Amino acid sequence: MAVDRGYVVPQMRRGMDHPHHDYQPFDGRRPALRWPNGARLALCVIVNLEHVEWRQPEGSYQSPTLSGGYGNRPFPDITRWSHREYGHRVGIFRVLDVLSKHGIAPTVAMDVLTAENYPFLVRHCLGRGSEIIGHGISVSRMITNEMPEQEERDYIRTCVESLTRATGQAPKGWLGPEYGESTRTPGLLAEAGFRYVCDWVNDEQPYAMNVTRGELYALPITYPLDDVDALWDRRIDIDQYSTVLKETFDALYEDGATNGRLLALNLHPWLIGQAFRIGCLDDALGYMLSHPGVWAANGSEIIDWYAGHLPAG
Amino acid sequence: MPLPPDRVAYLPMVDRPIIRWPGNARVALWVAPNVEHYEYLPPAGVRNPWPRTPAPDVQQYSLRDYGNRVGFWRMLEVLDRYKIKCSTTLNIGVLAHFPEIAEAMLQRDWAFVNHGFYNTRYISDFSEEQEREFYFEIRESFRRLTGGREIRGQSGPAASNTERTPDLLAEAGFLYQTDWKFDDHPVPIKTRSGRFVCIPYTGELNDVPLISSHFEADYFARICKAQFDQLYKEGEENGRLMCFAIHPFVIGRPHRIKYLDEILNYIMSHDGVWQATTDEIAEYYLANYYDQAVAHAAKVNV
Repeated sequence: MAVDRGYVVPQMRRGMDHPHHDYQPFDGRRPALRWPNGARLALCVIVNLEHVEWRQPEGSYQSPTLSGGYGNRPFPDITRWSHREYGHRVGIFRVLDVLSKHGIAPTVAMDVLTAENYPFLVRHCLGRGSEIIGHGISVSRMITNEMPEQEERDYIRTCVESLTRATGQAPKGWLGPEYGESTRTPGLLAEAGFRYVCDWVNDEQPYAMNVTRGELYALPITYPLDDVDALWDRRIDIDQYSTVLKETFDALYEDGATNGRLLALNLHPWLIGQAFRIGCLDDALGYMLSHPGVWAANGSEIIDWYAGHLPAG
Repeated sequence: MPLPPDRVAYLPMVDRPIIRWPGNARVALWVAPNVEHYEYLPPAGVRNPWPRTPAPDVQQYSLRDYGNRVGFWRMLEVLDRYKIKCSTTLNIGVLAHFPEIAEAMLQRDWAFVNHGFYNTRYISDFSEEQEREFYFEIRESFRRLTGGREIRGQSGPAASNTERTPDLLAEAGFLYQTDWKFDDHPVPIKTRSGRFVCIPYTGELNDVPLISSHFEADYFARICKAQFDQLYKEGEENGRLMCFAIHPFVIGRPHRIKYLDEILNYIMSHDGVWQATTDEIAEYYLANYYDQAVAHAAKVNV
């Protein structure tokens, strides 16, 4: 047995190993970004309303490590299904109440099955001033590189049409189910009219993506604070979660004095919206919002500001 | 077309009829000791409980059996201290194998929730006829082993279910199941034969998944108290339901038992707690709120 020589000695070149964006180091030379009213930090809270399907649709891809319940169980996996349904029935309202309390307008990442089957939730989220962004068809149908290009184009169009029907407006932002993408996704999102994508978690400011049609920005989620990553996959406890939210804020707030920073918090109501967890979110957001110079905004507001005030250089 | 499994009407917590528990309690609390028997030689089935070695897995088997030999009795002392009327998710096999445990539970008038014969036998791939026979035999065995009691609820063995489970449970005379862990209220479940509810169990406030993923019992106490605090606050406006689940082989260990005491001491020192069994909660809900919830759901989902 042997491997290809190209595996032993890979081709290396300067910059990224994909075309979607350039390498833009956050060294002292990155031009300063200023948020509205001189804010040091923009805070975006993304709330996921996603449906896990009772029966995995044929030909679709679901992450083998999908969170919730007792992990993977034989069909029908009533535990994971109902654990996640808790978010739609109960958890979402606790999360929205906490956000309202701290004056944060939510950015709701909503999948097609939620938009079409939970009209109450669509109305409720809109009534509370949410921006609704695309989040795929369901969390049981991830976009991966094995999805053919035309199927992915249709998939994205289905999401746009469905959310437009449900909310009266075409979504401007996108977060793939489980952050899933193919190598074609950014281009297809731009082609479908999206203005920003949240799948890329590699910065503390928005940045422009390279697309041939349209205009697309990355709005990077602060991934270690994603409640699924922190509370489920890494099982940190609720008090530690509150602490790392505050510590992240402290560091970004300090760094943001010279060059504005973004804290994008990605939350799942079935998880953070459980009665015993909601207090740690309330506590941490209360801490953040007690500081001057914090701009709580939705995804579109942040991207619009960024695009309109692109730092020179 | 409704989304599968189409067993529940969507009812958002913010738009629901108000529930008032007996005595105007804010929180109805059910305590769920899982009294279980795992087989020494589990038969081949849809899951292998202990894939690390060909059976027997003496380490994993005896780890659980510790619960029936030792842990159960230590747990019982604490439950008695607070006069808790438990709702045990029970492997019916325990009644046959360990009559001392059966006697202790029956003396205390616990409620019994069918959790299958053994926790190493899953119903997931039962045919309709097999599942029907299973419920018949469970009810017969339960009557025989308890001097004629009736079993009213089910928590699927090791959380296993089939798509037909609610229909067949209702048909067999059960009032409720606990497997749908999606709410802080009882929830009407649609079946072919009519009125049936879920009294939600919990995979979160549950010592097994929690303690098997790096936490210890101090954190179990921390989150049970936090859960209670939040539900108690919310329950002032609209009553809430709380469950926490324990396993004698886990919580009954010497270093953990004090945290069960801490949880119960904390919760039971509050006014406005209805410490009830699942049988009582299901009956109360069916008598007072089931119809209202069904009627209301029809208005919400348009």
